[in-house]
Amino acid sequence: MLAFFGVDASLFRSAWYLQFLEPGSSAGSVEEYLYWLRQQPPGAVPEVVVVGDSRIAEGFAARQANARLDDRVKFWNFGIPGTSPRDWYYILRDADPSRRRFAAIVLAIDHYADDDSFSSPEDSFVDLNFVIGRLKLSDCWSFAMSMKKWEYRTGAMSGCLFKGLTLRRDVRALLVDRAERLARIADWRLNGLGYVSGYGGSAETLRGLSVDWSHRTIQFPPGAKPWQKESVQSVVTGLPPPQTGDMTRYRERWLGGILNLYKASPTRIILVQVPRGPAPNPRQRAPAQFIRTIAGRPRVKTIPSEMFHDLERPDVFADGVHLNAEGRVLFSDRLTDQVATILAND
Amino acid sequence: MLFTTFSFVVFLFAVLAIFYALPHPARPYLLLGASLAFYMAWNPKYVVLILGLITIDYAAALWIAGREGPGRRIVLFVSLCANIGLLGWFKYANFLRETWLRIAHPGAPVMPLDIILPLGISFHTFQSISYVVDVYRGEQQAIRNYTDYALFVAFFPQLVAGPIVRAREFFADYFHWRPPTAAEWNRGFAMILTGYVKKLVCADQFALVANAYFNDPAAFPGRMPAWTGTIAFGLQIFFDFSGYTDIAIGLALLLGFHFPQNFRRPYLSASITEFWRRWHMTLSRWLRDYIYISLGGSRRGKARTYANLMLTMLFGGLWHGASWSFVVWGGYHGLLLAIERAVFGKEERRGLVRIPLIIVTFTLVSIGWVFFRAGTLNSAFHIIGQMFSPIPGNSLMGPWQSRLALLTLGIAIAEEYCGAFTWLTEASVWTRAIAAVAALIAIEIFSAADQPIPFIYFQF
Repeated sequence: MLAFFGVDASLFRSAWYLQFLEPGSSAGSVEEYLYWLRQQPPGAVPEVVVVGDSRIAEGFAARQANARLDDRVKFWNFGIPGTSPRDWYYILRDADPSRRRFAAIVLAIDHYADDDSFSSPEDSFVDLNFVIGRLKLSDCWSFAMSMKKWEYRTGAMSGCLFKGLTLRRDVRALLVDRAERLARIADWRLNGLGYVSGYGGSAETLRGLSVDWSHRTIQFPPGAKPWQKESVQSVVTGLPPPQTGDMTRYRERWLGGILNLYKASPTRIILVQVPRGPAPNPRQRAPAQFIRTIAGRPRVKTIPSEMFHDLERPDVFADGVHLNAEGRVLFSDRLTDQVATILAND
Repeated sequence: MLFTTFSFVVFLFAVLAIFYALPHPARPYLLLGASLAFYMAWNPKYVVLILGLITIDYAAALWIAGREGPGRRIVLFVSLCANIGLLGWFKYANFLRETWLRIAHPGAPVMPLDIILPLGISFHTFQSISYVVDVYRGEQQAIRNYTDYALFVAFFPQLVAGPIVRAREFFADYFHWRPPTAAEWNRGFAMILTGYVKKLVCADQFALVANAYFNDPAAFPGRMPAWTGTIAFGLQIFFDFSGYTDIAIGLALLLGFHFPQNFRRPYLSASITEFWRRWHMTLSRWLRDYIYISLGGSRRGKARTYANLMLTMLFGGLWHGASWSFVVWGGYHGLLLAIERAVFGKEERRGLVRIPLIIVTFTLVSIGWVFFRAGTLNSAFHIIGQMFSPIPGNSLMGPWQSRLALLTLGIAIAEEYCGAFTWLTEASVWTRAIAAVAALIAIEIFSAADQPIPFIYFQF
């Protein structure tokens, strides 16, 4: 068993295997972002990292933000589709070990209100796939126990202790197709950041969409695609889940964890509510409890939610949750201005 | 509690630790308690059922052993009725009812009765029957202590899917128990590890192909899908069942019990007769000793021998599952055995002639698997038709499965002719460590399923 632990650790617990991860995979995308960050040491200009999920990947343009401030600030877009605050905690912990690299970290969340959903964010098992390269042996217990269901806890514990279990599909795919994988990795390392920065956003639009929240009916524009309809329907017609306070606890644990990481750091933490959707529900179900608890903490800023309310309209959305190319431009400019103001005032 | 789950691993280590910490007289109670807990982890209510059967057979054997005359036969009959009756109700009630209703009311919809098959009932009833019959025949002494007998029936390593252990084998170890030697510890762990590799790496991998095909054979027309899907199932069921058996035998060895071998590279058989000497050997032995020989075996002329072979295999088929496709599967094997006996007698093949015969036997066995897996006779005949279709179609086995099939064939040949496994368990500590690490890494990386897939034989 000891020999097995040794071999397993040398393969997967060391950074050796991470260099072979599929760039487009969950773990691979996280590792690529961190690779690009390591490849570009801090320069003379302050750096700002915008962390989020696909809403930020689609809705924020780092290159445009840099240009807007005449490259006096360098923005990083760490919008990784499918990630959550738990992933962001581990990513930021390793991205910035000194806690001094960034002038500001923008944490982009979907909603200031601590709305619960039917699926508990704590039981997002896929988080393991994103941060498997970041989890140390000492993280396994706390990471696994941060899930609610025991089956997920045991799965996360075994997947963290024996990383090969989590990475097995990646390893098998690598063994089948080594040459093409290595070529993709080389290309992604060399050009991937350019691909991400050069992305202009989705050309799709929901112009013409209308939602009647009182009757929960939707009028789709002609030509709306099935996936667009599905994403709007899932938001509008879904039954409201019971509010249990899960989201508040989750945010306190993981967003609060990020704030604690930077407690003694000069880095500002900025929270932003991204435009919620093409026609968000005017009724807020849960209070913004977490945002209230962190108000007044030093170097923590919350951009008012009203700042982007005018962007919550169908013509700047590609589907039910993601901004399109036009929305990306508008949101990026406005977020850049807000961040610049905060940096200037501090 | 599947052998492949984390909870079972915890359970096993806890049982092992407590077993060796306890004084010897207390160990049977621990093993019986652990076995019943293992059973109850599936369905606590059904423990009454297994304890009821244990009580009936325990009392019947004591009665039979202590008396002479016709009363013994009546008590044997009562015991057999209890075992077969219970097995019949849980396993065959729906089958018989459905068959009757289809004859009596053709075309009418048939709603099955809501009956849940108790865990391992096919195995522990056979084990109990063999005990009572052996006592009746005077081949086994009746067990006086209830706990001892209950442990024989409910012993958790073999409770769910065998091997079907004879009472004299079990009690030879039980009454003369000695701790496992260092070599037995090595062998036990090696067998458990081999079992896990067979199940998680091999069986579950071939299951991906077999399930894809058999769940919707019409979606994959042509010869190649039919053959590759069927061969994948043949490999799946072998690795699944022999993997389970290896784990069971290994677990028993760690507790100081020596279970009989259940599989001996059956796909290297050069005849159907040889196949049944290598496949599910403890069931074959049971069928031979309690059905075939009871029917007269080969002592009553050729025609009766063939009929006995056929009847025995029909019973074997029906034991596997309550459907006509299992009956046909058993009948198919019975027919092949009878033809083989008629044409070749009991002659054993040696030398190079075995190679084409192995291929022929494997092909025949594979065709039989279609009935075993297809679910319905219509589906089975459709697939067999596809096996000989003029349309070639594409292989369903990907590069992983093809390489795995070749690799395991190589290992089987090495074991058959060089005793590779025995050599490995007796090799130097470094060689064993390398093999164990390789096996664990293989399980870690190459296990096919995210969620545990139940062992196929759990449904029997």
